[in-house]
Amino acid sequence: MPVYERGYRPWEHSGHRARAPWWTIARRGITEPLKSRRLLFLLAVAWVPAIVKGGILYFTFQMGELSRLIGGKWTDIGPRGFLAYLGWQSPFVLILLAIIGSGLISRDRRENGLALYLSRPLGVRDYVLGKGAVIMFYYFAVTLLPVWALCLFGYLVTSGATGMQMLLLIPLQALAYCVVTGAGFTLVLLALSSIGQRTVFVALWWVLLYAGTDGLAEIMSLFSPGLQILNFPGQFLNAGIVFFGGEPLSEVPPAASLLVVLAYTALGAWVLRRRIKPVEVVA
Amino acid sequence: MEATKTAVKPAAAAIAVRDLTFAYAAAPVLQDVSFGLEKRAVGLLGPNGSGKTTLLRALLGHLPLKRGTVTVMGCDMARDPRGARRRIGWMPERGGILPGMSGVAMVAYLGELGGMPPTDALQRAHEVLNYVGLADERYREADTYSQGMRQRLKLAQALVHDPDWLLLDEPTSGLDPRGRVSMLELMRDLAANKGFGVILSTHLLADVREVCQEILVLRQGRLLSHGRVEVAPPGATAQFLVEGFGDEPAFLAALQAAGLAAARRERLLEITAPADAGARLVLAAASASGFALRRLQPRRETLEDLFYQLVDDADDARSKD
Repeated sequence: MPVYERGYRPWEHSGHRARAPWWTIARRGITEPLKSRRLLFLLAVAWVPAIVKGGILYFTFQMGELSRLIGGKWTDIGPRGFLAYLGWQSPFVLILLAIIGSGLISRDRRENGLALYLSRPLGVRDYVLGKGAVIMFYYFAVTLLPVWALCLFGYLVTSGATGMQMLLLIPLQALAYCVVTGAGFTLVLLALSSIGQRTVFVALWWVLLYAGTDGLAEIMSLFSPGLQILNFPGQFLNAGIVFFGGEPLSEVPPAASLLVVLAYTALGAWVLRRRIKPVEVVA
Repeated sequence: MEATKTAVKPAAAAIAVRDLTFAYAAAPVLQDVSFGLEKRAVGLLGPNGSGKTTLLRALLGHLPLKRGTVTVMGCDMARDPRGARRRIGWMPERGGILPGMSGVAMVAYLGELGGMPPTDALQRAHEVLNYVGLADERYREADTYSQGMRQRLKLAQALVHDPDWLLLDEPTSGLDPRGRVSMLELMRDLAANKGFGVILSTHLLADVREVCQEILVLRQGRLLSHGRVEVAPPGATAQFLVEGFGDEPAFLAALQAAGLAAARRERLLEITAPADAGARLVLAAASASGFALRRLQPRRETLEDLFYQLVDDADDARSKD
């Protein structure tokens, strides 16, 4: 069909409000992976520990002190027990964020999509915020949301004021912990994604950073316990003591771990600031 | 076929660039480039590495400029980059396809990022994909598109938010002859009938001749020329190349009597005559002098001639310096 027969109509504004650019980016990034059945399966599996923990909560509230005979962190329904639960979620965080986050910027860079985004009326902040919100969403989906769901379940099944009191602050503690650690994970992963153009390599770097430093720190701590500070996910978990209270999980003081987490966050932001540009200026 | 209305946008003064200077490290890429453009089709010409793509990036506000200002439809790119970018649609030469999306999803998504409400963006995506000729392929994954389809998809995403200006970077690159003709037809229609300002960056002079009314010629980061691509106006002169046999001095005298200047160029005579009546006057002079013409060929100064002359002049000036 010739061009003149196809016609062209200028845009007639419907009067509806446009979405914020970062939300448009985030919405697309969140909904697109949900079309994958494998990812839905992974998300479902990531909730299994929460279901187990829910069962324990139920029996603890029903049987009282009897459940303590089973022992261990599993039956701890206090803040430390919830921090331990967040620790069990670590493998899911590793896998899920590798799948979701590694291609977020690298794919755009490979296809010159970054320049395409930034040729629109949006800034680098909108872009990073939108991409970061995707990672935060999936991180919260396997950490914060299960904790909140467990607390809600706990409020429903507990009969006494003691149980309510035990669970009262946990949603807020979990929110603070997940926001701080989520921001750290997000900026580090986005920074890795902005460095590489091949998604598979970014995922590999992420796994090396997450699981590799865990193993390395275990070996190094045989020589000096303070070298636990090299453990990337370990520092994120140990920083949780600042929010949930209790004894440190390693030889590193929790406040130092929190500083390490904040340093990772700042490093990620610095790398992103240098890497997210519409044009790569090669000297 | 669905009936659509065609609206022409009001013409407005449009892009103003002043003293634009940019360098990659120490290497200058654009030097003191200044021009103003009306809303029409403008060809951005220059050899490879002359700074065409960099100039487009500067117009998009993508570069940290050393000096200079860019204003698009009254919006200063430095002060109000979002306002300026809302008025620009950019079609990149390299890449420009967001992976994992269908054609319509990609165009609608970029429409939303261009400041459109979601429903408007989706509706416009369908319309512009129909306009560029991708209506039947819009639900296919854009990754699987052929080169020609990719180019049209990139044009659609540049159009979706209904900008005032289209910046097209090598839009016919990698297209087969049919695809190229189709793309040129679209660009011509957009500039001539739909009221878009178009900046067409290319090294293909034929594309510029087909689409543009104005040209900017860049060479090593400097603006060599900025002018209109015009058909010879009434009263302009033209050159004719003539070859023949017979009484040449008599022929030259007849030409002189008719007010035409002639000069020898190897085997040929180059005659300068009025563009509208030149051939008739040359034939009359030949007839009057008994000179038998073997060849009478108008010698048009093409865009290619102009381009190469400008580039050669710039090279000569540089070598003298």
